Amino acid sequence: MILVLASAAAVLFGVGAYLLLQRDLLRVVLGVAVISQAATLTLMASALQFGDAPILPLPAQNMSDPLSQAMSLTAIVIGFASASLLLVMVLRVVTAFHSQELDEMAGAEAGRDARLDLEDAEDHEAEEAAAR
Amino acid sequence: MTALALSLLIPWAMGVVLVMVDGRRAPVGWLAVVVLVASLAVQVLLAATVLSDGPVVMTTGDWPTGVGITLRADALGVLFSLLSLLAILTATAHQVIEGVHDRVFPGLVVILAAGLTGVFLTGDLFNFYVFFELSMTAAYVLATYGGSRRALGAALVFTTVNLLGTFVFLLSVAGVYHVTGTLDMGRIAARMADADPNASILIAVGFFVAFSVKLGLFPFHFWLPTVYTGARPAVAAILSGGLANIGAYGLLRFGGELLPRELDLAAGALIVIGSASILYGGVLAVSRRTGGEMLAYSAIGQVGYVLVAIGIGGPMGFGAAVLYAVVNSLNKTLLFLTIRMRGAVVGAAFVIGALSVAGIPPAAGFVGKLELFRAAADIPALLVLLFLGSALSLLYVFQVYQYDFWRTARTGRPSARAQQAVLASMALLVLVAGLWPEPLLALSNAAAGVLTGATTMADATP
Repeated sequence: MILVLASAAAVLFGVGAYLLLQRDLLRVVLGVAVISQAATLTLMASALQFGDAPILPLPAQNMSDPLSQAMSLTAIVIGFASASLLLVMVLRVVTAFHSQELDEMAGAEAGRDARLDLEDAEDHEAEEAAAR
Repeated sequence: MTALALSLLIPWAMGVVLVMVDGRRAPVGWLAVVVLVASLAVQVLLAATVLSDGPVVMTTGDWPTGVGITLRADALGVLFSLLSLLAILTATAHQVIEGVHDRVFPGLVVILAAGLTGVFLTGDLFNFYVFFELSMTAAYVLATYGGSRRALGAALVFTTVNLLGTFVFLLSVAGVYHVTGTLDMGRIAARMADADPNASILIAVGFFVAFSVKLGLFPFHFWLPTVYTGARPAVAAILSGGLANIGAYGLLRFGGELLPRELDLAAGALIVIGSASILYGGVLAVSRRTGGEMLAYSAIGQVGYVLVAIGIGGPMGFGAAVLYAVVNSLNKTLLFLTIRMRGAVVGAAFVIGALSVAGIPPAAGFVGKLELFRAAADIPALLVLLFLGSALSLLYVFQVYQYDFWRTARTGRPSARAQQAVLASMALLVLVAGLWPEPLLALSNAAAGVLTGATTMADATP
């Protein structure tokens, strides 16, 4: 069972990492969401037992561990919240850059940097000229 | 007990309230500053108790120990908590004087402070993760502050990379729970000694990667320059002076206390990575001309010193690491705030910060470098490296000073007096810490004592 869960978590992490490296921003968000599922699955698997439900009055023996399930729930909530935050951020980037491709964003940034460098060089030239 | 509960409760409750009101109005911004001052005051009280009577431990909700979440304040946690709060307070006051442009800024800053306080004062591993995520989420939104295209793109990179880092952290948390069967840090430290070395090394690597991403160490630094230059100066100061402390604290706490065996094993690797970070950050910072970019790369170099000190280990090494982390956080807060400011005080404040980064007396950085040299005294190669790193930092800070303050770039209407006063008080703090370093040295030695067994968390656990 441990092997099945471990390989499932590994596959999820791999798929998430692959998506994260894509150029499309939407896939990046999906990648983060899938990786968060890998982490949740690992949390669950870290204390997996097949026992009775840990509800009061507690079963005398063979009780499954409630803590790992509580942790998984918390991790699911946090993962969901961060994925939605990331989605909102992508939305804002798409409206600001009119594109959801990382390349085009990088292109816009590079254009800006080149312009700044040019201005800087011009400033410097002007200063040199003034000094002469 | 009360001080510990209050230091979490005040920023947490007030942060939730502040997020709901419009932060662009000046009174709301000032309320956030007042809340931060109040939390700082409570934490100073807490620190006084911790330093005189030892760690303060509290189990939330009166649950029996082992069931309830433990909050625990020891010298290391309190020191980092105070430091981060001070950085956030300074940057917030700076921004509020200038005028807040975003309705959620004051609330988020206070929530970030609550999250950081929680991270530093918790004794429970999963609770650490939750507070960690709380402060990171606030930081993700803060990184978009200003709303320029550049800030947005940078914030997206920041969020994606750091989310990946937190999930790697979560995987290690699951590993720790599987191996030790507990989430209480004191018990983990005790049980980790008997764990299977293969598993514990994997866990340690996961924690190391997660904290290195936060800290922006050399192979994990790629997000950092974009974010620190894309964000507004106040936000960059909060991120590098406040949030990055999680990385240094995490490496110290998890490496020095929870996984000391693995830290010993990896000491050589840590020193190599730290050295690479120092050289990479230093060389790239020299090639930059604007203050923001120089500071971003300098941040990568400066955290390398902390890692080298952790790698050296022992009371001297940990003491130097804590001290250098404190000094670095003060420097970065001060220097990031000087960007885009004009006026008589700004140049002087920059010079004090620059002296501190380069490690020249009378600024506080000198004390940090001195302790580092003392810790590394047995390894000649390291001494050469530290000297080279310091020489590089002297070069890049004064090169930027020349570009920024001697050329015409900073002429024009001076910034508001109050804003300059904030900057001056921070500069004064760096100067005083350098001229009268005994309190800071005592604090950092007390904090390092927590790790080397003077008072371990295991002792504090009933």
